[in-house]
Amino acid sequence: MTLHFTPVWFIAVPLLLAFLSPLWVRLRLLMPILLGAHVALFALALSWIPTVRVAPLLETIVIAPPLGIHLHLDAVSLLLVALFNVAGAVVSAFLWLSHAEPHLRGRPAFILILLLIAGSSGMVLTGDIFNLYVFLEIVGVSAYALTALRRDKQALEAGLKYLIVGSVAAIFILFAIVLLYLQTGQLNLAALARDFGHIPAPMQALIGLLMLIGLAIKAELFPFNFWVPDIYRGADPEITALFSGVLVKAFLFVLFHLVFLLLADPAVARTWLMALGATTMLVAEAVALRQQDLRRMLAYSSLGQVGLITLALGFASEATTAGALFHMVNHTLIKLLLFLLTALMLRRFLSVRLADLQGLGRAMPLAAGLFVLGALAVLGLPPLSGFASKLWILKGFAEAQVFWPIALILLAALLEAGYYFRWIKVFYAPEPPVTAGQAEGDWAYTPLLLIAGLLLLLGVAPFLLEDWFVQAAKALLGRGAFLESVLGVQP
Amino acid sequence: MLEFLDSPRVFHGIYLLGSLMLFFIGLYGLLAKRHLLKIFVSIEIMELAVYLILIALATSPGETAPILSDGLLTFTGMADPIPQALTLTAIVIGVAVTALGTSMAIQYHRLTGKVGVGEMTELKD
Repeated sequence: MTLHFTPVWFIAVPLLLAFLSPLWVRLRLLMPILLGAHVALFALALSWIPTVRVAPLLETIVIAPPLGIHLHLDAVSLLLVALFNVAGAVVSAFLWLSHAEPHLRGRPAFILILLLIAGSSGMVLTGDIFNLYVFLEIVGVSAYALTALRRDKQALEAGLKYLIVGSVAAIFILFAIVLLYLQTGQLNLAALARDFGHIPAPMQALIGLLMLIGLAIKAELFPFNFWVPDIYRGADPEITALFSGVLVKAFLFVLFHLVFLLLADPAVARTWLMALGATTMLVAEAVALRQQDLRRMLAYSSLGQVGLITLALGFASEATTAGALFHMVNHTLIKLLLFLLTALMLRRFLSVRLADLQGLGRAMPLAAGLFVLGALAVLGLPPLSGFASKLWILKGFAEAQVFWPIALILLAALLEAGYYFRWIKVFYAPEPPVTAGQAEGDWAYTPLLLIAGLLLLLGVAPFLLEDWFVQAAKALLGRGAFLESVLGVQP
Repeated sequence: MLEFLDSPRVFHGIYLLGSLMLFFIGLYGLLAKRHLLKIFVSIEIMELAVYLILIALATSPGETAPILSDGLLTFTGMADPIPQALTLTAIVIGVAVTALGTSMAIQYHRLTGKVGVGEMTELKD
């Protein structure tokens, strides 16, 4: 029997494994299955690189598009799916190998993490806008439940806030989808892209606005990101690593995928999106300067990086888009590292407030060292990967002779240096550390060292993935090719 | 005397007006009320308004349900089934989210005795 590999596996396998969870509990296989599933799906994603390079892969479900539902696997969605599974694998390895709290190792966490990764993969793979909404809600529900998983006051409060904000965002997105359907009679993304130009202009603006509000809330863009630091503060750091690494990236992709598809000329929205990105970046970096809790600081830092990625993607030139996709990968890896380190610090010190982490470098030398490495990667210092991706973005702007984003990005990096070194200074302060929690075994550091290795590798040898990022940028910007591959006609 | 109500333009206009009113009632509740359950009710009202717009504007007066049965052997004069399928899906999702939200609100109330979003202060520095 030959196994038939299809993109549906990225969604079906996690769902199936999640439904079979009682079996894994009985066999005591929860954590190995969680890790194994993500590693296997990552390998599956890699095996598709040669195929996707030639042409995007369309997986039809029952009826051919534009009538039926299909999954669209091209270079950019493959890149993101691979990234999501790496993130899932790292977090599950960390949960397995470290002394994670029981609620993070139990069946609910297992199911919800798989649903989160499956939904995020579905969001980037689907070629149908209503399916997009369904995946968005799957991701949403699992994220709300994961936030509140610890079931103490803080976690429940964060979960409730997230649920309220998230449902409102989903209503706006649903409203936009309903208007799109009523105007065009289509749900297929390619058919919508073809017909969107025929909608009256005021209706186009209304749909765009509703979609932008909904997705900006979900993708944490200013001024719709007021809720983010609270959520990141209340949820477990292992879970926020997934939010910052997977969720935000999936929503950013959806936002820009829709912008590039629906608007025949992305320059219409360029100024707005770039302004949105720039304000998100500067406001977040400025507020991060005075945070007293490591989780809040990292949340603002994450918002700053999201702003940078939005700024670069919004410009919609091939070089900045490729650079932004590279930076997306980097940011996911860096924030996984930093949030998982936060989890370790929280277990050791029982608090991650600035004042309580004095002298951490002596109690946890490896953790402090890795934090410095992650901070330098965020700042974009060579030879770490953040340098390569930021340089790519800056080069893209310089080639296009647009200089104000370069100035803003460098200013943001300066602010970042300010607050990261404020924390690093405290870690290496001469005061003796006050540790209250238990020490971690060395195994917990394995996934973290793996990420650190990846950051170094991508920084020293960015050419390893360069070709893939260029392909992905072409796929994301290539509206004509997308329409042709789905509808079979050149628009 | 009331035949004019059956013309699609008037029919759609009435529904659109009604659902937009519902939507803004929900939005008002969301912004003005602090009680958790009232917020969930407001969110549900906004959702319902969106469903109503989809169903009402996709259907015209005189169209029948898209089901073949005795006497109805061809698909003529039938409503577009897609909006109805979409709405059913969306309703199911909405119920799931609200159920999760309410259960979380109940747990939160049991732990803290608080019911309002204004009183949520655990996460502030």
